[in-house]
Amino acid sequence: MGSRYLIRKVVGACLTIFMIVILNFVLFRMMPGSPDRILLRNPNVTADAMAAARIRWGLDKPLIPDQLVDYLEATASGDLGFSFKFHGEAVTDVLSGRLWPTVILFGVGEVLAIFLGLALGAYSGWKRGGPIDYIGNGLSLILYSMPYFVIGILILGVFAVGLHWFPTSGMLTIGGGDGTFTSQLLDFFGHLALPVTTVAIGLIGQYSILMRSSVIETLGEDYVTTARGKGLTSSRILRSHALPNALLPAVTLIAINLGYVIGGAITVEVVFNWPGLGTLTVTALEARDYPVLQGIFLLLSVSVVLANLVADLIYGRLDPRVRS
Amino acid sequence: MTAPAVPEQSVRNERLRLRLQSIRSFARRFASRPDGVIGVIVLLVFTVLAIAPEVFVGPLQTATSASGPSLSPPTAANLLGSDELGRDILNLTIHGTRISMVIGLLATIVTIFLGALVGIVSGYVGGRVDTVLMRITDFFLVLPTFVLALILAPIILDIVGADSEFFGIRVTLLVIVVVIGVTSWASTARIIRSQALSVKELAFVGRARVIGSGPRHIMWRHILPNVMNLIVANTVLVFGGSILTETTLSFIGLGDPFAPSWGQVLNAAESAGAMGLGAWWYVVPPSVCIVLVVLAFTLVGSALDDVLNPRLRIRR
Amino acid sequence: MRSPLRDKLARTLAAFGLALAAVLPAASVQAKDLLTLRVGTVEALDSLNPFNTALNVGYEVFTLNYDLLVNFGPNNEPVPGFADTWTQSADQLSWTFHIRDGMKWSDGVPATSADVVYTYNLELDGTKNDGVVGLGYLDPYLKDAFVTGVTAPDPSTVVITSSRPTSKLTHSYIPIVPQHIWKNVTPANISDFENKVPVVGTGPYQAVESTSQYVRLVRNASYWGKQGAADEIVIQYYPSAPDTMVAAFKNNELDYIHNPSPESFNQLKTAKNTVALASEGDGFTQLNYNTYTKGGGASTTALQDPAFRQALGYAIDKPTLIQKVLLSYGSPGTTQVPPWEKNWHVDPTDVRAFNIDKANQMLDAAGYPRGSDGTRIDKQGKPLNLRLYTPNTDASYPKDAQFIQGWFGQVGIKVSAQVLDEGTLVTDEALDSTKPIKTQLNYDMVIWGWVGDPDPNALLQILLTSSIGSTSDSQWSNPQYDQLYDQQNQAATDAERKTYMTQMQQILYDQAPYDILYYDNNLDAYHTDKFAGWQNQPVEGGAPFFQDGSINYTLLTDATKATPAPSTAANAEPSTGSSSGPAASVAPAPAPTDTASTGSPLLLVLGIVAIAVLLVGFLMITRRRRVSAAEDDE
Repeated sequence: MGSRYLIRKVVGACLTIFMIVILNFVLFRMMPGSPDRILLRNPNVTADAMAAARIRWGLDKPLIPDQLVDYLEATASGDLGFSFKFHGEAVTDVLSGRLWPTVILFGVGEVLAIFLGLALGAYSGWKRGGPIDYIGNGLSLILYSMPYFVIGILILGVFAVGLHWFPTSGMLTIGGGDGTFTSQLLDFFGHLALPVTTVAIGLIGQYSILMRSSVIETLGEDYVTTARGKGLTSSRILRSHALPNALLPAVTLIAINLGYVIGGAITVEVVFNWPGLGTLTVTALEARDYPVLQGIFLLLSVSVVLANLVADLIYGRLDPRVRS
Repeated sequence: MTAPAVPEQSVRNERLRLRLQSIRSFARRFASRPDGVIGVIVLLVFTVLAIAPEVFVGPLQTATSASGPSLSPPTAANLLGSDELGRDILNLTIHGTRISMVIGLLATIVTIFLGALVGIVSGYVGGRVDTVLMRITDFFLVLPTFVLALILAPIILDIVGADSEFFGIRVTLLVIVVVIGVTSWASTARIIRSQALSVKELAFVGRARVIGSGPRHIMWRHILPNVMNLIVANTVLVFGGSILTETTLSFIGLGDPFAPSWGQVLNAAESAGAMGLGAWWYVVPPSVCIVLVVLAFTLVGSALDDVLNPRLRIRR
Repeated sequence: MRSPLRDKLARTLAAFGLALAAVLPAASVQAKDLLTLRVGTVEALDSLNPFNTALNVGYEVFTLNYDLLVNFGPNNEPVPGFADTWTQSADQLSWTFHIRDGMKWSDGVPATSADVVYTYNLELDGTKNDGVVGLGYLDPYLKDAFVTGVTAPDPSTVVITSSRPTSKLTHSYIPIVPQHIWKNVTPANISDFENKVPVVGTGPYQAVESTSQYVRLVRNASYWGKQGAADEIVIQYYPSAPDTMVAAFKNNELDYIHNPSPESFNQLKTAKNTVALASEGDGFTQLNYNTYTKGGGASTTALQDPAFRQALGYAIDKPTLIQKVLLSYGSPGTTQVPPWEKNWHVDPTDVRAFNIDKANQMLDAAGYPRGSDGTRIDKQGKPLNLRLYTPNTDASYPKDAQFIQGWFGQVGIKVSAQVLDEGTLVTDEALDSTKPIKTQLNYDMVIWGWVGDPDPNALLQILLTSSIGSTSDSQWSNPQYDQLYDQQNQAATDAERKTYMTQMQQILYDQAPYDILYYDNNLDAYHTDKFAGWQNQPVEGGAPFFQDGSINYTLLTDATKATPAPSTAANAEPSTGSSSGPAASVAPAPAPTDTASTGSPLLLVLGIVAIAVLLVGFLMITRRRRVSAAEDDE
């Protein structure tokens, strides 16, 4: 791989992350209601106590440079401060407890959506104009137009509240003894089923639409006509040309869409009370727990930047034209 | 420079004729896309509902003017049932059309304005300006927009003050508009920049530069008209996206309970426990409206895209 | 060519395995045979440290973990807690508490009077110079009792002295914490003390696991009182999804839920094996006016005029509010002391009943005539357009606001309503004396609520002049009210205290800086097929949980067993400490020690799964390669 391309991309990503760190500082200093407000609306707090708290949080220092320098130093050393809402708990601890549930929910959801979406799209494109195409493409468009939480509410209403097939909320049944490994795993998958279905359904649409157009495009190319002339079956053409050609944009789509997907994630997690970053965001937002919000924002932005970087690098490696 | 009057007149006529012809051919090509036509019809219906909801369902019902029983299923009096305060769901949904559509429209205007401005300037001026603008664009492109929106909403509310009104629109709604605009212009800017780059190289732009036209004039008179097709197609897609974002923000609780948009109705349904109660009539009408409108925008958008930019396929 | 993608896939799969291992708790061979009580609430616990919690659920958890010096009984009367007996001296200035003999902390260390001295001194030291201990909510229990000193003559005796006669020491909400665990905690660093699990206490259940979604408590085998039937208690939080909480309850994933929406609650009343209880609560929802007279952001001076506020009181139809917004789960509000505080609440005289005509007449008489467009104008000639804010914490507030908007409109006062986030609103309402007044107090009216303590002081002091800047959300100042507060606080007897309090309630009602809209009911629902023995607190008209103290948790029995578990041991004198519970007791303290050994089979299986998936993937890919090779040959 061209090292100049690589360096340019990496430097760009670092610059973006630095901008995010600065933005993070500015945004949260602009937010209404300062951290010491949690002591307000409390009959027992005196002016002295307020002043002491402000000193403890470093709010008595000037914003620039002191607070900014403190913040940069702390962020660089991985210290994101302390949560207001969960008194005294480190933000990194709060976040790390919530990271994996989100990763699992969206990882599995994405994988399912990619497989199903690409399959549906490929089939629709291949049998263009057929009944499956009409239904499949129509369905994809409708799913694409649905907010995640609407899908979630409907699924929850039918399969958990109505039919009692799955648990309604959470990630594990808490308590009742530790249980055997199998029972735990089954319990976990039971809880995972509905939210992951919601995520997958929410994402299938765009992958299917993408794959369909890619297949249609590919089938119109000259070399496909040649291949057909050589007597290759359509399914082989599909597998060896259309699929690889569509996979690449799919990868970039995942990276680019990560930011949007996280938005949808928040609502799905809220509907199913899934203990991930989404519910944490809403809890933190309602409590105006700025350090936690700041941490979430930083974590998500950096992961989107990194995902984009990875996508760029893969793209660059696969498509030499990009490098020039 | 003196030019004879008659030829200029005929040039103008010729231009007009060409433009009419292109509009006619555009209409013909668009009409050949049934999905686009259906989308337009759906959007027209919702536009009518948004402009004059009172004609169909009377004034917006409030807590004091609500007539129905609490959480009643659909009846003759309340065709789509009622909410927990006894307000008619049909009434709320139809009035929600206006708020959702207005927010979507304004957010789209902000998005497209910002996106087109940055895109054209960046593409035409080039050089260092382009580098800086594109750096910023990339930055906004990778930000998790929804989380940023969640954070921005209270900040903007704090800056403008909660109780002001602009042109009769509650500021809480404008906050959502600004939030959507600020967080979603980047992809539009990217698309328009690439088109502006190629238009810039066309002969007539060079000629304009030679006869001494200023950059502002060139961007306004030459570049803008030539990226217009892209702007139009993008506008439609952004509109649908804005409505989705508004819905989600309201559902999370950042909307305005005193101005029921679709997302707000769904938020109210959630907090009343509608789904657990089996009150499907509270959830389904606003959901169907959201899906219909966003779907219509997507259909029209892709049809326009195909008709206007047959070679340039926009992927979101 | 496509190898990077494949590598990425493999890495992703491996990451999934790791991620799964991270979320699943340590598995063990033990079967699920514990009897678990699952409780759902819309609040999320803020801290396990009793001094750092501001929430109902926080009090619930710490009264399960710890004993108070004197606990709250079935009717909130004093019952044995950390102390089993107590006497007041003849001069009424000191109390002697006897600490139960042989009592142990849940880690086995003896619990003695030294722990009481430590805990109370923590409070006394912290509040000495107007300081606060943690969030300060527990401070008034010693401060308002004028406690001067705590001593321990011997391990089973505590003597508390006060500068004035007091009856408040047997209603103190301060939990006794173990000195041997808390020894390094001081008032200066208590805000940072998390009180991590496993919590060591003397209460009936000890927290062993705490996440941002739930807290799990297991039965304290060495608890001195009756052992509850539940082996463990899980309290789960549904802060942004009340609907999901109700769905989980209906799906039998929860045994008890606290404060579902009134609409859901209505439906639960007819559900099978379910008791749905609406009980009087110790709190209210109020409409508060910004009455500040020394500048600030109120839009009109009319709000400073008691006659104006009284007139508005006639334009509020409280019965309709209760019926429509609360679906009748509440009662019309009058004074700042809710009827729940039976001994202290006094109905005011001259109650304002809904009457639009009377409101109009009173506004005319008070000097607020209607302008040309029908909107009334204030004494400076400004049209009355009031801003009404509500916090985003409760779905009922915006509904209240809509009604008030309608009714005030009928008396010629425009209202623009707005929902603000809690943080903004609380900052808005609190006067900061270090900043210029011009930019502050930018509100006219707010709908919000307060929840009280068993002692009325908490709710009485909200509107003291000295509370401006902290709790006073009306910025109201009335010297007579302030004086009466001190008098009632220093009163020697309850009867004397109540006479002052009666006046305070009438003054507040007449002056109306607050219009108390209603006293909200607490809504609770529980299933009866898993647990039996449900008791309410107070016995008449109360609810089982989320009251004061944790006594009702220990009274539950296993509903599936024919005879209610060991009821004989239930009320026996807890002399030896441990009475035998119905199921094998679980020792709380040494829980997660063998994580590494029990975690390994999980990792092993996940590893096998990952390898299997990779193998399949590899086979598929090689097959495809063969196919494409064949194509190239063709």
